[in-house]
Amino acid sequence: MKNHRHKWILWGAGAIFAAVFPHVFGIYYANFFVAFAIFSLYAVTLNLLLGYMGVLSFGHAMFFGTGAYATAIALTHIPGFPLLPAILVGGLSGGLLALILSPLLVRVSGTAFAMLTLAFGQLIFVIALKYREVTGGEDGIGGYSIPPLNIPGVVSIDMTDKINFYYFAIAVIAVCLFILWFYTKTPFGNLVVGIRDNAMRIDYLGFKLPQIKAVNLIVCGAFAGIAGSVHALLMKLVSTVGVLDISASFTPILMAYIGGVGSFFGPIIGSGVLHLLEDLVIRFTDRIGLVNGAIFILVVLYAPMGLVGLFGEAKAKWFHKGKVS
Amino acid sequence: MSPTTVLYVAQAVHGLAYGMLLFLVASGLTMIFGMMGILNIAHASFAMLSAYFCYQVLLMTENFWVALLIAPVVAGICGILTERFLLRTVHKQGHLAELLITVGIMMVILEAVKVGWGAESLVVKIPPSLSGLVNFAGLTYPIYRLFVIGLSVVILGIMALILFKTRLGKIVRAAVSDADMVSALGINTPLVFMLVFGIGIWLAGVAGAVAAPLLTVFPGMADQLGMDAFVVVVVGGFGSLGGAFIVALFLGELNAYGIQFIPRLAPVLMFAFMAIVLAFKPMGLFGERE
Repeated sequence: MKNHRHKWILWGAGAIFAAVFPHVFGIYYANFFVAFAIFSLYAVTLNLLLGYMGVLSFGHAMFFGTGAYATAIALTHIPGFPLLPAILVGGLSGGLLALILSPLLVRVSGTAFAMLTLAFGQLIFVIALKYREVTGGEDGIGGYSIPPLNIPGVVSIDMTDKINFYYFAIAVIAVCLFILWFYTKTPFGNLVVGIRDNAMRIDYLGFKLPQIKAVNLIVCGAFAGIAGSVHALLMKLVSTVGVLDISASFTPILMAYIGGVGSFFGPIIGSGVLHLLEDLVIRFTDRIGLVNGAIFILVVLYAPMGLVGLFGEAKAKWFHKGKVS
Repeated sequence: MSPTTVLYVAQAVHGLAYGMLLFLVASGLTMIFGMMGILNIAHASFAMLSAYFCYQVLLMTENFWVALLIAPVVAGICGILTERFLLRTVHKQGHLAELLITVGIMMVILEAVKVGWGAESLVVKIPPSLSGLVNFAGLTYPIYRLFVIGLSVVILGIMALILFKTRLGKIVRAAVSDADMVSALGINTPLVFMLVFGIGIWLAGVAGAVAAPLLTVFPGMADQLGMDAFVVVVVGGFGSLGGAFIVALFLGELNAYGIQFIPRLAPVLMFAFMAIVLAFKPMGLFGERE
């Protein structure tokens, strides 16, 4: 009961923090916060595969990038395309890509899954790079305007205003994160974890493994697509470098691992840590990747469960309250 | 001979040179995968590192041959240290952790060379004894590309002799097919792993150093070589040297002629082909194990 109240206070504090954030820290950090939120959602979808289903997606940028490109293309070519459908298109195309690939991806696991996703990720990357008529090649797509948020007959909010966009983006991502969190708590979410722990047992219980894997994959693809879509709206520019290249696939892996793959909130913490670190490091040097890579190696070596795991261990050691796992 | 034929032959030589370089990189990659089950994402990064070493040694000694000798060895030592202190530490955590460590190493190398040498393309000059053209049967070839092909053939020949004619080679081949069983026979497999990892990196290092004058030395080198080598290993079959050889040469030619005739489609075809092979034959065209 007491624990429950603690949780609500924490959520309330988080909501208030997010609400006053742009007014306290200014526009630059408001955009910074939106980027953090986008990558949190992106890393959480990766973790739904890595931590929950036990497979590593090495080409996760294909979902993220497809969502970003879909939104950018829709906004460029269809005049007056409304805002919410633009995000929905991003999510749908991410999910559709996952649906197309799922018959191949559900058959493999372990290293083979990682390589197959890497291969498809590179394939999508090369296609986006070469078909300039649609994707703009290396230059990417830019110059589209962000439509206002229209609720017919009620209100029309201008999204070119940074503060408005901040609230809108945070709301969209918070809703997505809540849906995903709820999804992991459903019986279906438990089945996914069951596949990670003992696929054969789930099979013997009479559940259909490939279908469960495929649905999880499609959910991840769709939400990664939404993350990409919001990213496209934030940056007002979509190019292969940043949303589709291999480092865009590695970023969420870093975040998930540094935060902790064992928990739902780990990747969010990892995203926060990496963004803060980047903000700090960039004042001294441009070589952020060096710091990130070194930290990543250390985490894989010494803290395989990430910061969340370290925190749990410390809690168990010093307070003897938490259960020793 | 007609100019068209000359063009075709010249492209074929280009393709052959690039294919041999690819095979130098891919052979180490496929051996390491076959033995240790690690897909070494950082493999081409070590090749790039070797290219930078080559540039540095050349700057200091102004002798290309010394650079060609030293750079791959230094890169190989880096590889051995990596295996000993990073990969072996996470070995008990499983293949996923090993894969992720190599991702970290790739990122560190990519940024480290930018810190050390900057992000610009560095030009490595072809030594005077290898520059210029040679006439042969009415055609002119650049000597350096012929040298690349010749050197690769010699190195691969020596490697093949070691692999198929010596006791060490026998152990390595046995470990590729079943490392646990070899270990049970009382052979120090961690040492063999370390050795193979080092030699694999050394081979990649030779490719990197030799490629330095052809491709110029720049931080994107690892991506270019790495993805192509990855395709070679995947399509050729994991742990299969013969498969890697065939696919490397094919890819080299595809690269050379593709740029000429289908500049847009060639890379797309390459990755599409790999994805299809991987989807339906997860162990590659010539891979033996499932």
